[in-house]
Amino acid sequence: MKKALTLLIVFLMLVGLVQTVGASTPGQLLIWADDTRTPVLEDVKGQFEEEYGVSVIIQEKPFGDIRDDLAIEAPAGEGPDIIVGAHDWMGELIANGLIEEITLFSEDKFMNAGIEAFSWGEELYGVPYAIEAVGLFYNKDIIDEAPATFEEFKELVINLRNSDKADYGFVMPQPDPYHSFPFFSGFGGYVFGTDANGVLNPLDIGLNNEGSVRALSELAKLYDGYIPNVDYPTMMSIFTAGDAAMMLTGPWAVADIRAAGIDYGFTSLPTMDGNEPRPFVGVQGFMVSSFSENKILSQLFLNDFVANEDVMYRFYEIDDRPPTFIPAGERASEDPDTAGVLASAEFAVPMPAITEMAAVWSAWEDAISLSLTQEQDAQEALDNAVQQILRTIEEGM
Amino acid sequence: MNFWQKNKAHIFKLIFLAFFNALALLSLIISISQGGYILAVITVFIMIIINFVYLSDRFYPLRYILPGTFFMILLVVYPIFYTIYISTTNYGTGNMLNKDQVINHLENRTYLPDEPRTFNFTAFKNEEIDQFKIIFEDREREEYYMADTINREISQISLSDAIFQGLSSPSELEEINGYKRLDRMQIIQNLGTLEALKIEFADNELRMEGINTFALYRQRFVYNSANDTIIDQRDAHEYVVRQGHFYNEEMGRLSPGFRTFVGFRNYRRLLTDDRILQPFFRVFVWTFIWALLSVATTFALGLLLALVLNDKDLRFRKLYRTILIIPYAMPGFISILIWRGLFNPEVGVINRILEALPFVDALPFMNNIFWTRAALVLVNLWLGFPYMMLITLGALQSINPSLYEVSAIDGASIWQRFRYITLPLLFISVGPLLVSSFAYNFNNFNLIYLFNAGRPAIAGAQTPAGGTDILITYTYRLSFETGRGADFGLASAVTLMIFIIVATITWFNFRFTGALEEVKENE
Repeated sequence: MKKALTLLIVFLMLVGLVQTVGASTPGQLLIWADDTRTPVLEDVKGQFEEEYGVSVIIQEKPFGDIRDDLAIEAPAGEGPDIIVGAHDWMGELIANGLIEEITLFSEDKFMNAGIEAFSWGEELYGVPYAIEAVGLFYNKDIIDEAPATFEEFKELVINLRNSDKADYGFVMPQPDPYHSFPFFSGFGGYVFGTDANGVLNPLDIGLNNEGSVRALSELAKLYDGYIPNVDYPTMMSIFTAGDAAMMLTGPWAVADIRAAGIDYGFTSLPTMDGNEPRPFVGVQGFMVSSFSENKILSQLFLNDFVANEDVMYRFYEIDDRPPTFIPAGERASEDPDTAGVLASAEFAVPMPAITEMAAVWSAWEDAISLSLTQEQDAQEALDNAVQQILRTIEEGM
Repeated sequence: MNFWQKNKAHIFKLIFLAFFNALALLSLIISISQGGYILAVITVFIMIIINFVYLSDRFYPLRYILPGTFFMILLVVYPIFYTIYISTTNYGTGNMLNKDQVINHLENRTYLPDEPRTFNFTAFKNEEIDQFKIIFEDREREEYYMADTINREISQISLSDAIFQGLSSPSELEEINGYKRLDRMQIIQNLGTLEALKIEFADNELRMEGINTFALYRQRFVYNSANDTIIDQRDAHEYVVRQGHFYNEEMGRLSPGFRTFVGFRNYRRLLTDDRILQPFFRVFVWTFIWALLSVATTFALGLLLALVLNDKDLRFRKLYRTILIIPYAMPGFISILIWRGLFNPEVGVINRILEALPFVDALPFMNNIFWTRAALVLVNLWLGFPYMMLITLGALQSINPSLYEVSAIDGASIWQRFRYITLPLLFISVGPLLVSSFAYNFNNFNLIYLFNAGRPAIAGAQTPAGGTDILITYTYRLSFETGRGADFGLASAVTLMIFIIVATITWFNFRFTGALEEVKENE
């Protein structure tokens, strides 16, 4: 009996291995979506199937797996027609020949930041649906309102550290280029410059220009005793315990802050030398696979059934990330947090999607780390980082 | 009943073979239908071997090692060869597809002709022969064309032609010679065919543009298989194959590139590029020290505790043993993340305690190379000692107690007994495990990466190599955090180098423990 049972299990496992998963086939749409997007798409699909007589299959995958799985399964003929993804995957997906350009009929109804993020040269490669950018959370029990200028911000951070109102004036995760970028951009730094056609130039790196160096040295001064050098989870525990007046991070932290019962406000960062800080913006959207057998159908689905107020608003309801579709965004702005993110995203820079960004993150992070721990001054650390980035990019390492 | 008793084994065998063959046939059909011919050949090969071995009397004994061999080839030998293969290619971001796929991709690119034209269309289908007729309508010029999918030729027609039966628009037409008009829903269901349709129109191609329209396009890239080049028809540039890309002196390379054999290029880069080499030696030295310290500290503590727990007079032995195994029973990556929090230099518990104590101060864990390394060794000690304790406990039990009695009679001290009886006999059984523990820690990616991602950063470094990076984490950063994204070719090359290093060290280690074996033989 035991033997027979073992045999049966082995047999079932083998069947599981042999069974093929869905793949893009003409006349049937296959969509890869993550767990938050799947329920909304499941609702929409019935209507589409009824109207067009085409079946739609939604396959749920962890968000992080979608990009890697596409690279393996699409060329093997096992891929989907449409994927859900982030705009900064785009460079890699295009370099690998995996996604197709899209014609969006209602482009003017989308926030510019969303369209810009999914544009590559003149072509559009995705239908954006949600946007996120970091901003400033502040604890209303400690300060009444967020500082408007960097000078005020600095004063506040120093004063609060020396007072007994809170342990810290300000916390942010470090070393973290993504969270630090608003300071860099506020003082005039940038990652990649653009050429005459508006295309990013990977050999023009602005991470050691005057503004970038100024930003990092200002931060380093504050990190010398006034701001704790902590990572993301530690930062969250400090802020949710009510031990810090301000925190820099994105809307994904809202749920935890609410759960901790903190009376908070969410707004954009203070201006630096009169300039608006420009955080990186991340945009999520739908992309069409190059290996799709239903490219026109996929675009039809995205244009008619996804790019409308109702569906876009439902994505927002389920996920809290503000919609880039303007009518849905206006409806969502009744919530002050969402309005805060949208205000923050207005000045935002799309996170560079070109593949050379892989070389930037790590070297940039090292420079921030060396400078904030006072081991190197900002100029030296950033010069070295840029040199390191350029060499690995130039020599195609 | 008797028959059943006699032939039970044989019947089971036949059932098993029938199942196996059915499965193999199924996968054979699937792989042939998907074009996986190599897989099909392998399947047939395995099928023949299995059937032969299980049915033949002569090779019957082989069936015991067959499954083991099969899985060893599948899970050990095959990955090694695959890694070697990948290390000789340029597989990575930008070079993922194979050459045919890239050519296909490029040949699908189009550009708009000087005089772009858009046509509305009405499609008709003959269900019996599965063919289409399409009438195109250029509303601007009021011109009509008709094409069919049989010979893909297009000809101009006019509303006064007989087929229109005097109707004013093609969309009012119900049928042409057995071809029935498709409504919107039917068009969508036939999109697969319509989308793939390319009809020559003057010098251009008529292709479907959207659900309602066809438009004129020109194919941009054409592959010439005779001399393996790609011609850009828009500006007549010729692209030749160079290092996995189609390349033109003036225009640069076309994206995407394809996967191709590059010989020893990845190895050459590793061995000649001083930016890689310079940190390589520093990283290598630390990796070696790290693996050595890991084994030494965990073994020392494990041995000590095992000796204590081995004392039969100790009360609550079982309780102690259970408590001491806890670090081993917890999932490693959770413990590592907890330790990471404890060692946090600003808010971590360890520094808070140190600050509260007299004479000592907070230590720069995570930011200073020495203290981060010290913390790592400590964390690894916590993670690793229970394993060492367990294996040593087992080995201690196997030492013959009469040896101790004899030595006690001879007047040996406790230290002498430990040094000359326990230790040598222990090493015989534990030695190989220490070697494997060394190899494991040599490649302990999880701990290094989760604890501090190989950092702290080193000021003035040329490549991203942090102060606690070991070879395997350095490989990871080299392959995924530099240049243009992932570089699997380079990663495989470094992996093989590490494999060779570890294999060499392990070989010497086994020679060393082999020498210990002789102690046993002389016993």
